[in-house]
Amino acid sequence: MKKSSTALKFLIFIFLMVSVGYPLFMMLSKIDWSNFGLLVASNTFKTSLINSLFITGISTALSVLIAYVIAYTVNRTNCKHHSFLKVLITLPMLIPSISIGLGLINLFGTNGIISCNLNFDIIGSIGIILGSILYSFPVAFLMLDDGFNYIDNNMYDNAKVLGLSKWQTFKKVTFVYLKKPIFSSIFAVFTMIFTDYGVPLAVGGKFITLPVFLYKEVIGLLDFSKGTMIGLFLLIPAIISFLFDTFTKDYASGEFEKKKYLDKKSTLKDIILKTIMYLVITFIFIILGSFVYYAFINNPVLDPSFSFKHLNYVVNNNIGKYIFNSLFIAISVSILGTCIAYLAAYITARVKGKAARIIHILTLISLAIPGIVLGLSYTISFNQTFIYNTFVILIMVNIVHFIASPYLLAYNALQKINPNYEVVAKTCKVSRFRILKDVIIPCSKQTIREMFAYFFVNAMITISAVTFLFNTRTMPLSLLINNYEGNLMLGEAAIISIIILIFNIVVKGTMYVLNKYEEKKRLNYETI
Amino acid sequence: MANLLEINNLIKVYNKKIVLNNISFTVKDGEFLSILGPSGCGKTTLLKILIGIEKPTNGAIIKKGKNIVNLDVSKRGMGIVFQNYALFPNMTVLQNVAYALKIKLKNKNNAEKAALEMLKMVNMEEHLKKYPHELSGGQMQRVAIARTLALKPDIILFDEPMSALDADNRLVLRKELKKLQQKLHTTMIYITHDQEEAFSLSDRVMVMNDGNIEQIDIPNVIFNHPKNDYVRNFVTNHLIEKVSSIEKCTGIDL
Repeated sequence: MKKSSTALKFLIFIFLMVSVGYPLFMMLSKIDWSNFGLLVASNTFKTSLINSLFITGISTALSVLIAYVIAYTVNRTNCKHHSFLKVLITLPMLIPSISIGLGLINLFGTNGIISCNLNFDIIGSIGIILGSILYSFPVAFLMLDDGFNYIDNNMYDNAKVLGLSKWQTFKKVTFVYLKKPIFSSIFAVFTMIFTDYGVPLAVGGKFITLPVFLYKEVIGLLDFSKGTMIGLFLLIPAIISFLFDTFTKDYASGEFEKKKYLDKKSTLKDIILKTIMYLVITFIFIILGSFVYYAFINNPVLDPSFSFKHLNYVVNNNIGKYIFNSLFIAISVSILGTCIAYLAAYITARVKGKAARIIHILTLISLAIPGIVLGLSYTISFNQTFIYNTFVILIMVNIVHFIASPYLLAYNALQKINPNYEVVAKTCKVSRFRILKDVIIPCSKQTIREMFAYFFVNAMITISAVTFLFNTRTMPLSLLINNYEGNLMLGEAAIISIIILIFNIVVKGTMYVLNKYEEKKRLNYETI
Repeated sequence: MANLLEINNLIKVYNKKIVLNNISFTVKDGEFLSILGPSGCGKTTLLKILIGIEKPTNGAIIKKGKNIVNLDVSKRGMGIVFQNYALFPNMTVLQNVAYALKIKLKNKNNAEKAALEMLKMVNMEEHLKKYPHELSGGQMQRVAIARTLALKPDIILFDEPMSALDADNRLVLRKELKKLQQKLHTTMIYITHDQEEAFSLSDRVMVMNDGNIEQIDIPNVIFNHPKNDYVRNFVTNHLIEKVSSIEKCTGIDL
């Protein structure tokens, strides 16, 4: 029994060393530091750094603000259908960031549906800010929405009894509980936007940001050393955010009687808040609608008539192969990733020990590496090996890139399961793995489904992690958007975005239905 | 009765703090021994060392003449009942009890037959198809006891099994447990901080404080001849106070 869990620890450790430790080490060791001064002094670098900080700062502030307003609206006004609204608000998380940029071009580009008649466009910084907000606020929303769940609502009664003003109540109750989610979401959104190149590539025009600079150096000029040095700058906010999350304590514990927040009257404030929320949701739908419009229209400016032209083009250009590639990668990543993340969490949450702590840290480190940097490190580390140019490397990079969140999901779920099962099992001469299979996995089915869906959706939409690693044979759908968009084939790019969205909705929806079904059958056992 | 278990000079040190200070005692075959003490006295650590989840810093545990201190949990022939039941939430009452038996006997029918027998003994035969979340605390603890008894371990350890139950349930289950033990003659070591529980259930009581054994003897002797002030205060006075409060309420001279 002891031996098998040690073997498992060892295997996971080896996997993480090969997939996280080794590439990072290789990438850092290949840097030609003699050019560092030259890079930092160059005008392009300075401009792109300032640009990046500028758009990231503004977008982060607005994104978290919007997320807070919506999370507040969903939780604290009398609006109904909480879970359905959540689905609508998080729709942008189901398409690649480049698609959001694409949607903005459709609407407000040089020949956009809205802008062409009004003679303006948002190409450049405004487009990047708008796109960045759209693609990052759902993430912040989810974190804050979750935060609202862990506020001890009894505190509001206490505040009333003490006669605190509204502002004092916010400061002493709401903010105390939401401090961690607010700061975490600020860091997370900042990192997301700072390292994203999908949106700037689509709507940035000549406005160059740091990730785009890196992308162009590596893809265009094959300058890996320079790319890595730029990558180091992209790592900085991620590392700060990682350290913040690791070292701050959360006040919200959930160790109190759950009580509903009852003070929900329909006031003018509520109406304004709800209007803002519905406006945001409408905007999301306009973006998605623009895909449908572009997909089935001949030419939005010259000939806006219904046409299957784009669809025919896509179908005649091997769409089946790309769909296969994407699904193959996403399903492999989901299955393998869920297994690895779950077993790693099992080790760290239930077996414990020194090795477990190292596994915990290695798994979380992946959270701090931006996809584009991770992809770069894989190119540098594995280009001489047999896995290069195969699906294996694409699957591996996806697993590593997205492992941290599902890992944490599993870690939290497994920690909550009664710690005595393994002891009982041992006294009954039942092996650890038998109990894992017969009790612990059945008790965490819901978490496993969530992990699976998370891996799937993200593997479908990512471009940053795989952009340096694909070849013509293994190219996934998301990169096709990049290609079409680059050739100004907006209708074709829109079709691909729709295909990705549909697959993701199907997977998310299936998991949702399965969970509901089990809840109904009361098969989601409370752990005792 | 012969000695089934011999604990010799058990020492446990955590971060330079002595949790168990050179503890020695014996447990006879078929005996019901309670380990009584306030929280932090080291009784839970002692239990963990006995069952094998933790290693002592020093000392020996001799079972049937063999030192088992380095043996794995699964090889010690002990069962355990936890305060929080640790029933498998995805299995019915019958499945919970039959689960390990199936693996042991490699025969589903025999396993279920044996499980049913055990569940009858703890008066749970009417709830076979229920899941743990449909049971009360007392019922869950009955199932947990049946599950442990079914595998016929040499010794069963109880880790404050009734602390999570309400007073009425506690009283009923206490009586049932006593009956079960008298019927099956299984050796039981019962950890508790409840003086009444210890005194009503046990053949012998071991009073612990601060990592030491203050006194170990039959209830009668501990009650009438407490070895020191600690035992007098923690055990005797507590029980006397209870009796006097009953006397006050009922007017009956006990």
